[in-house]
Amino acid sequence: MDTVYLLDLFKKLLGGLPLTLNLAVFALLGGFAIALLLNLLRTTRIGNAVAGTYIFFFRGTPLLVQLFMIYFGLAQFEFVRSSFLWPLLREPYWCGLIALMLNDAAYTAEILRGGLRAVPRGAQEAARVSGMSRLQILRRVTLPIAVRQALPAYSNEIISMLKSTALVSMISLMDVTGIAREAVAETWRAVEIFLCAGLIYLVLSLIITRATSWAERALSPWQFGARQ
Amino acid sequence: MTSELYLLGFGPEGWGPVLARAGLMTLAVSLSAFLLGTVLGTLTVWGRVSGNPVTRRIAETYVVVLRGIPDLLVIFLFYFGGRQVVSLVGTALGFEGPFDISGFVAGMLAIGLISGAGQSEVLRGAYQAVPKGTLEAGRVVGMSRWQLFRRVTAPQAMVTAIPGMGNQWQSVIKESALVSVTGLVETMRQVSIAAGTTQEHFLFYTAAAVIYLIITTLSDQVFRMLERRSMAGYAGGSH
Amino acid sequence: MTNNLPAVSVKGLHKSFGSHEVLKGIDLAAHDGDVISLIGASGSGKSTLLRCIPMLEIPNSGSISVGEAHITPRDGKLSRADERTARAIRRDLGFVFQNFNLWPHRTVLQNVVEAPMIVQRRNKAECRDEAMALLEKVGLSDKADAWPNQLSGGQQQRVAIARALAQKPRALLFDEPTSALDPELVGEVLKVMRDLADEGRTMIIVTHEMGFAREVSSRTIFLHQGLVEEDGTPEQVFGNAHSERCRAFLSGYFDRA
Ligand SMILES: Nc1ncnc2c1ncn2[C@@H]1O[C@H](COP(=O)(O)OP(=O)(O)O)[C@@H](O)[C@H]1O
Ligand SMILES: [Mg+2]
Repeated sequence: MDTVYLLDLFKKLLGGLPLTLNLAVFALLGGFAIALLLNLLRTTRIGNAVAGTYIFFFRGTPLLVQLFMIYFGLAQFEFVRSSFLWPLLREPYWCGLIALMLNDAAYTAEILRGGLRAVPRGAQEAARVSGMSRLQILRRVTLPIAVRQALPAYSNEIISMLKSTALVSMISLMDVTGIAREAVAETWRAVEIFLCAGLIYLVLSLIITRATSWAERALSPWQFGARQ
Repeated sequence: MTSELYLLGFGPEGWGPVLARAGLMTLAVSLSAFLLGTVLGTLTVWGRVSGNPVTRRIAETYVVVLRGIPDLLVIFLFYFGGRQVVSLVGTALGFEGPFDISGFVAGMLAIGLISGAGQSEVLRGAYQAVPKGTLEAGRVVGMSRWQLFRRVTAPQAMVTAIPGMGNQWQSVIKESALVSVTGLVETMRQVSIAAGTTQEHFLFYTAAAVIYLIITTLSDQVFRMLERRSMAGYAGGSH
Repeated sequence: MTNNLPAVSVKGLHKSFGSHEVLKGIDLAAHDGDVISLIGASGSGKSTLLRCIPMLEIPNSGSISVGEAHITPRDGKLSRADERTARAIRRDLGFVFQNFNLWPHRTVLQNVVEAPMIVQRRNKAECRDEAMALLEKVGLSDKADAWPNQLSGGQQQRVAIARALAQKPRALLFDEPTSALDPELVGEVLKVMRDLADEGRTMIIVTHEMGFAREVSSRTIFLHQGLVEEDGTPEQVFGNAHSERCRAFLSGYFDRA
């Protein structure tokens, strides 16, 4: 393996990095917003059923199926093609982003729910007897504790989303994996190319791991305090 | 679309039989990958807790690397990489090409390797959750290390591990859809072929979703039952 | 506070959980400076009674007043106006739980300043100074920056008492404050409570520490199956209770001790 070739290859692959990061960041942001909504829905009976069905579907099927349903499936319908959404839905980028976002929302909703459930009842009761309003309890006790409880699981979800963005190469997008596949088709040096691409994701995920474990420490020193 | 539902049936023009076969293929590749993952996961836990710094290093690196690389890339690596290896060996042995590696084997190896990393985390958590007191209780009655593992550690850890292993199995099923890129005719591949042939994309991808939902839901029931059973055993044993 | 309104008053209180009637008509009044100990067998409804006062449980009928604030809930529900009154009542009461219930994500000092700062919207520096003084009083000023999970149970409960005091409450309610503690840690918490009683604080205390109840309280109430069965001075109740059940209950305690 010559270094010149490898350097060139890395340069080429890194060209896909902006798209990979773009998809991961926006899917996570949108997914988080939808996840919050799903948890709000959970408070009513019908909403609970809707949220439950949504989560059941998106967690129970492969992301690839969801992606193809949106990208290939929807385009088949005349009413989709004539709707105002068509300019978005015919773009692979938007289909990819929507699929990633909807998928992330289902997993994030469950993570948030776990965090909310882990808030000690007593802590909320103590807030109530001190005279806090519902909103104050939510803002100052429930959410801070829930978010911190959910952080480790959410860190995994961030990495998982980053890795999932690779699937958009299946609908012709040129993210890091897409560029790698194109390069393989041209040169047939599959092992080197896929390893280099893998290395890029690996470095990113290590950075995320570092950042999130720092955030965990910074946000919840109480969990790292020495027990007596 | 309702009028096209016959396409999913078992009639002369129906894709029912091939879809069912594809569903079984999904199960087959998932099951072999999961079992491979269990072996790798167990070895990894052993590597991490055995106290040997070299095996620990290897085990940790394995987990970190596989948790950081997209599943799709791992499958590509095994599929194309496997082909390169087979070609090299084949040519060296004097065989004539072209050489190929089966999608089943490549997919099973790739997903098994990915799942092994995940399963090792579950198994390690379960191992660490075994109350130290029960180990001491075993030690004071004179059990050997192997007896301790078989009669005290493993039974307790297995119970704790069931829900986590259930999640790992669900992941394997969903990851198996990616093996379609190797051309192995499992659910996803079969559905893509059908969608392309009939131009009924939405119908067939929805059918795929339903097939996966059936598999994941049924497995969920099985794991829940296992959990209940093992818990019941627990309660019965301690009273 | 010069008028004759009781600090805390409970009238005709009924509370059921489903079909299980736990409180069957309770009357209780605590005047300023009273220290009332509530005793009774486990399951007799002591916690439920105490939790009804700040509306942690909503009574089915009866009324609660704290100072001027007055609530008469109907069918275990609070109207919007009641909700507001309930918050006023909670602001005026300090509540100490069996399991401390400190906020795990806030330091000791932050736990103590939270309510005055957020609920009463008082000046931050002032709250801080008062909180430090309260921590000094419960003997924990050196732990101001510690996290709750770094403290022993006894220390956590003393922080919880400081947190309740920071609200400048009209009355303090204690629900078995020492029951979750290791025996050797009970003393430090009882000492703080005794000091509060000596200061003339108004307190209602659910407890199984009979020696403490007898010594510290000005009135003792024995609860049996959701009704007040005995109510009098500690001398009366512990010395010669009218109720056979109360005597039996107490002899169980003192024989054990
Ligand atoms: N939230 C609740 N839901 C149902 N039953 C309850 C609840 N809280 C208390 N109870 C029941 O009410 C009765 C009185 O409980 P409690 O007030 O805690 O008694 P004590 O504090 O005197 O031990 C018990 O039988 C208990 O099971
Ligand atoms: Mg109680």
